[in-house]
Amino acid sequence: MGLPIPNSKLGMWLFLGTEIMFFTAFIGTYIVYRIGSPGWPTDPEVTHIRVWAGGLNTFVLILSSYFVVVAHEAMGHEKYTKAFRFMVATFGLAVVFLGIKGYEYYGKITHDILPGHVAESEPQAMNKALVELKAAVAGTGLGELREELTELKNEAAAASADERDSIDGQIADTEARIAALAPFEDAYKKLKDDVSAGTVSALHGAGGFDERLAAIQEAHPAANSVHEPHVILYGNLFASVYFLMTGFHAIHVIVGMIMFAVVIWVGWQQMSALAGWHDYVENIGLYWHFVDLVWIFLFPLIYII
Amino acid sequence: MAAHHVNYFAIFCALCGLTAASVVADVFQFNSKIALIVIVLSIATAKALFVMSYFMHLKFERNWKYLLLAPTAILAMGLPLALMPDVGVHYYTVDVPQAGQAIEHEADHSSEEHSSDEEAHH
Repeated sequence: MGLPIPNSKLGMWLFLGTEIMFFTAFIGTYIVYRIGSPGWPTDPEVTHIRVWAGGLNTFVLILSSYFVVVAHEAMGHEKYTKAFRFMVATFGLAVVFLGIKGYEYYGKITHDILPGHVAESEPQAMNKALVELKAAVAGTGLGELREELTELKNEAAAASADERDSIDGQIADTEARIAALAPFEDAYKKLKDDVSAGTVSALHGAGGFDERLAAIQEAHPAANSVHEPHVILYGNLFASVYFLMTGFHAIHVIVGMIMFAVVIWVGWQQMSALAGWHDYVENIGLYWHFVDLVWIFLFPLIYII
Repeated sequence: MAAHHVNYFAIFCALCGLTAASVVADVFQFNSKIALIVIVLSIATAKALFVMSYFMHLKFERNWKYLLLAPTAILAMGLPLALMPDVGVHYYTVDVPQAGQAIEHEADHSSEEHSSDEEAHH
């Protein structure tokens, strides 16, 4: 009576059934959004999606699935040292996968391809660059210098004749530093006013925003923290579904690593203790194959199509 | 326990070969997007079936596998089908800022196609 499999295996399969629905919800949503968004970014220069990274990650996961299967087979033949080694190798490959994923995420973050951060029209791109420029101006410490100057002037008014000399020296020094930084602020304000007035209305081309920004960056190196403004239509939706799918997949990889760590720890303590862990290894193997399966579908959907 | 002998290494090699085929399909410039999608998703499905049948051992399990996977497969297809008329295929005129941008974008990049322009001005 009942199924010819251990309860834990049935439990894992039921869980995997729910996980299939979990991931197909996200993937299905991505497909539907993409079909409904004409102009979805596909140029790899814009999206910073590297097929070689995705392909390499696919290979890494397939290899790790193969190692898990070998480990499981070894458990069946009571070759615990072999199983242990292959599970450690699987864990190592999972680390490699996360490393490559981390490199990809780093690229996205440095190019500011994050949900809510992407400009989808030229006015948005110009506004975003202006906000970043304002932050760069503030970053030079101009505000603090001005406050310092006000305080020094107050001190000078209340000070005695002897102290006044040194304070005057400090005032002159602070004023000089403010004077050195003020042109940067003026350039930012002029650009901002031109954009508001409509004098600068285009992002590219002669007299365009990017020309003015480049000029400011050449004259004032502090402005180099401003990202080059560009428009990515549907960029926010793209970033959102990208991080949703790959992020949840990465979380599942981490959970798998924790499960492998448990059995590796047991084997590390005493190899023969693995004797009772055959079902556990089979189940985490199933989970790991599922993680591989999700990636098998994520790779073409995100990187190729 | 696995009483059936499976050459796991052969399956692994097949999976690697299919992955390489996907990457080649990406590099090779297809004339139609549909062809790329069909080929690449077929390769992905083949890889998935290899993993499920052999690595996950489903080929050698009994009929409970259908009982388990059928509802999930139905629900998996159900969500995109349910959302498609609303979000995917617009049967009404879409009036969002991005749609206007998309029209300009398409008009810039393909001077032959004016049908999308006409649709937007209904």
